Amino acid sequence: MTGTISPVYLLNVERGEQEAAELLDVIAERQLADWEGEWAPELFRAMQRLRRAGVERSQWPQSRHWDWRKKTVALQQGILAQAGFSIVCDGLTQGMMIVDTTMKRCRIDSQQGRNLVYVEYVENAPWNRKELFNPPRYRGVGSILVRAAIALSEDLGFRGRLGLHSLPQADGFYADTCNMADIGIDRDYHNLRYFKMTPGCAQTFIMKGRGGGGTL
Amino acid sequence: MSAKKTMTLNLRENEMRVLEELSKRKDMSKTALLRQALRMYQLVEARLENGDKLFFEDEQTKTKAEIMML
Repeated sequence: MTGTISPVYLLNVERGEQEAAELLDVIAERQLADWEGEWAPELFRAMQRLRRAGVERSQWPQSRHWDWRKKTVALQQGILAQAGFSIVCDGLTQGMMIVDTTMKRCRIDSQQGRNLVYVEYVENAPWNRKELFNPPRYRGVGSILVRAAIALSEDLGFRGRLGLHSLPQADGFYADTCNMADIGIDRDYHNLRYFKMTPGCAQTFIMKGRGGGGTL
Repeated sequence: MSAKKTMTLNLRENEMRVLEELSKRKDMSKTALLRQALRMYQLVEARLENGDKLFFEDEQTKTKAEIMML
């Protein structure tokens, strides 16, 4: 599977400087191999450390059960309603995201019924997660992926509108870093908090990125 | 995102009117609306081929009507 490659930059935390990376508009076999061969063992070891340190299970990574090979089945089948993105830096996949462009619509009154890009899954490599690695290896993965979702939303004519249900550990990122509107707990969807990015929020977030970059 | 290709589309007047009304209501360009329709049509076809069924449900009465796709 081939896709478009865009140059982006991540913050190498240890060196304190920007490092060149690639944003791909696909999740290819190479990304799935990185997930299986690099992410999964690292995540396992990180959870082992949490367990041995007596950290409660509720504080462990809430995406630890995610199976990216299963999640990408529709992408591999060429279903246009879904799109996948990944970021590669230093020869390894640093983050992945799957979005849906047909199944969800806006819920807030001013945008009711308008189309949006719904972020189904987004995940950072374990070594980039500050709750698992101190310091994390790279920062900026989440922000770049959210910006990619906004760009797709604009390309599809949705004016930057996004929606997503957030795992509790990521609520702060969507509320504070992305400035997304917090619509509240969704009783119909695993009691997860629903966040919405309006066209105005999207523009603000894009402008903010031009001035510095994100932190997830 | 990959490059786009251009095509000419011939529509009857009433079809064009519907396209214009929908694109206005959805706050999307006509091209964006047709691209969205293509994504939805492909998804529905794939789900039907997979053995799934497509329904409309009345929110009040919970009555379901199956959509027969040709």
